[in-house]
Amino acid sequence: MSNALVPVKADELHGELIQLVSFNLDKEEYGVEVLKVREIIRMPIVTRVPNTPHYVEGVINLRGKVIPIISMRKKFGLMDAESDKQTRIIVMEVDGELKGFIVDAVSEVIRISSSEIQPSPAVVASGIDQECIAGVINQAERLLVLLDLEKMFSRDEKNAFGSL
Amino acid sequence: MPPIDCEDQELLEGFLAETTELLEKLDDDLVALEKSSDDAELLNRIFRSIHTVKGASSFLGFDLLVKVTHKTEDVLNRLRKGELHVTPEFMDIILEATDLVKLLVSDIKAGDIQEREIDGTIAKLLPLLSEAPPAQTAEGSSSPSAEVAKVVIPASATENDQVVLPVEAAASEPSPNQEVVPAPPPKASGDMVSKKVPPPPKPAEPKGEDLSDNTTVRVDVKRLDDLMNQVGELVLERNRMIQINQDLQQGEPDRLDFNEEFGKLTKRMSFVTSELQMQVLKMRMLPVDKVFKKFPRIVRSMARDLGKEVDLQIFGEETELDRSVVDEIGDPLIHLIRNAMDHGLETPDVRTAAGKPRCGTLVLSAVHEGNQIIISIKDDGNGIDTDRVGRKAVEKGLVTEEQLAAMSQRELFDLIFLPGFSTKDKASDLSGRGVGMDVVKTNIKKLNGLIEIKSEKGQGSEFILRLPLTLAIIQSLLVDVEGEVYSIPLSSVLESLRVDQRQFHLIGNREILKLRDMVLPLIRLESIFGVKRRNEQDNFCYVVVVGTAEKRMGLVVSRLVGQQEVAIKSLGKYLANIPGIAGSTILGDGRVALIIDPVGLVDGGDTGGR
Repeated sequence: MSNALVPVKADELHGELIQLVSFNLDKEEYGVEVLKVREIIRMPIVTRVPNTPHYVEGVINLRGKVIPIISMRKKFGLMDAESDKQTRIIVMEVDGELKGFIVDAVSEVIRISSSEIQPSPAVVASGIDQECIAGVINQAERLLVLLDLEKMFSRDEKNAFGSL
Repeated sequence: MPPIDCEDQELLEGFLAETTELLEKLDDDLVALEKSSDDAELLNRIFRSIHTVKGASSFLGFDLLVKVTHKTEDVLNRLRKGELHVTPEFMDIILEATDLVKLLVSDIKAGDIQEREIDGTIAKLLPLLSEAPPAQTAEGSSSPSAEVAKVVIPASATENDQVVLPVEAAASEPSPNQEVVPAPPPKASGDMVSKKVPPPPKPAEPKGEDLSDNTTVRVDVKRLDDLMNQVGELVLERNRMIQINQDLQQGEPDRLDFNEEFGKLTKRMSFVTSELQMQVLKMRMLPVDKVFKKFPRIVRSMARDLGKEVDLQIFGEETELDRSVVDEIGDPLIHLIRNAMDHGLETPDVRTAAGKPRCGTLVLSAVHEGNQIIISIKDDGNGIDTDRVGRKAVEKGLVTEEQLAAMSQRELFDLIFLPGFSTKDKASDLSGRGVGMDVVKTNIKKLNGLIEIKSEKGQGSEFILRLPLTLAIIQSLLVDVEGEVYSIPLSSVLESLRVDQRQFHLIGNREILKLRDMVLPLIRLESIFGVKRRNEQDNFCYVVVVGTAEKRMGLVVSRLVGQQEVAIKSLGKYLANIPGIAGSTILGDGRVALIIDPVGLVDGGDTGGR
């Protein structure tokens, strides 16, 4: 029954447009759904928080709200890079809470049709958790990795961290 | 009966607010009446309350409520005329009726009117009205309530979201116990007793006690006017600020003038905002009476259940504290009172044998001290038997013999807070599950408060709670640790001193400092927080002495920045539970500073040192 449903579903989704915010990390381009993104800001002063996982850069003051900042590079096990003029923080609502993610640069908002999303290949380079990759978008001139950040913090990681 | 339609919503809300208030007071008055039964003024007040509830509910067509209140009123009327006398059994029945009224009101409030068994209670009231024809009750069975059940009132969204602990049910809803236990009313005839029905299953929910609504606030009009004045001044200062900014943009005034003007503005602004802060804080304040007033009732019913005689004295119920704190201290206090009643106070016979007055005393008091409120629960019972506590803890495997042998008096007292600890061998409805004191500790810790126990065997014990007045804004000491700024709540700072590091001693793996006649264990914040060393090692550093109860600890920092009032910001659930960090705040320059949790550091401080 589930097999029969698949083609129907794909047809339905064919015309559905999704807007993505695309950003760069190392040499790759990634995308997240625009509806999840609250704002994009430049690097402010980050206050380090002790005894947290290495990828938690610290916390910042976002107009009176204190939100945690996570380094995407560190989270994905990429080489750390100095922040420069291009560096941005994408503030998103993940797990019902605002969190900021440091990326190398934010490029644009793109529209794609949901049918362009392909399942991610079995092996993806550079140690990114398979979990949080929702798919790959292969357009003529570029390759975009679509992320699902809700899955970024897998359950046991959340627990281990809570009991630190 | 007229159904309640939406137009009546406002009327209904008014009714609920008024009734809730009356019922809260009623409990208190009834318990007081038992002590001074000839107080005519008190009796009249009780009578009026019930009468008002009856009048309003008949107007709105709540038949069940009318029936119960009507009978209760009749009984009270006879009491007023001197035809009846106050006895504990009599009070049990009246209190049971009040509980039923509360339950019915809370049904109405939840918008979920149910068919309740009210005949049992009414049957108990009837014998007290010997003139009343018994037939009236039979006819008054709950047929009309089926109609009522159809009426659905939209429930207000936020109420009932409080988590009520399962152990809570026993204390906050004593009626089911009472309904079964007490002797039949003195004048009851045989078939009256047989008519008594088993308690309806519903009242087990602790709903009736939670009538009070915390979603709306009543504020003194004068306070509101004051607030408006303050806001007016703030607007003036804002205009002034805009003006100064404009002048500066146009480059008109000379620097000197600007500096002076801006300085003045800053001063006025800080004055107005701190006034405003005080005003808003005051508005959020509630007298602790809000929590205290339900205790006489609880103490009374527990005393009757346990067969003990208790005189509850309450002091300082007018002491005000923040709403958030008031909401949180109810549970821990109930547990502490229950603890004192069950474990502390002895039965009258034992007391007489020990040469104490038959009637035990339980003193509940609240007082302000600096920016803290101190609540104490003191009994003159038999105190904490540390030998027994220690033995039980070993038996239950909570500590080992060796640990026990090394414990100070204070640490022995602390054993009772361990989850799962109980001196009882068997759990009863009141205690023995080893949950209560753990709840007390966690709740108080959540409020940034401290618990202190004073106890002398045979003389009684006292539990002292030290709580912050508010959870939103605290006084704090800002310290610099190798360039990073941290904030330490001033309430736990005992002193701070500048010390030459060569005075530190190393015992085992730990650095300590001899401070007067005290050996102070030290924690280097830079090492437990993993701060990168930036400056050259300086021989001099500062030690901030923090303490919780009897534990003291020195935090080694590079520099003291100063004292500041800071607003607490949560770190969110993702970064909750970081050891040693209680939250964060935003400094004047917009940066975030972390607030240190000294209690966490002192408890988990064994990993400190170098």
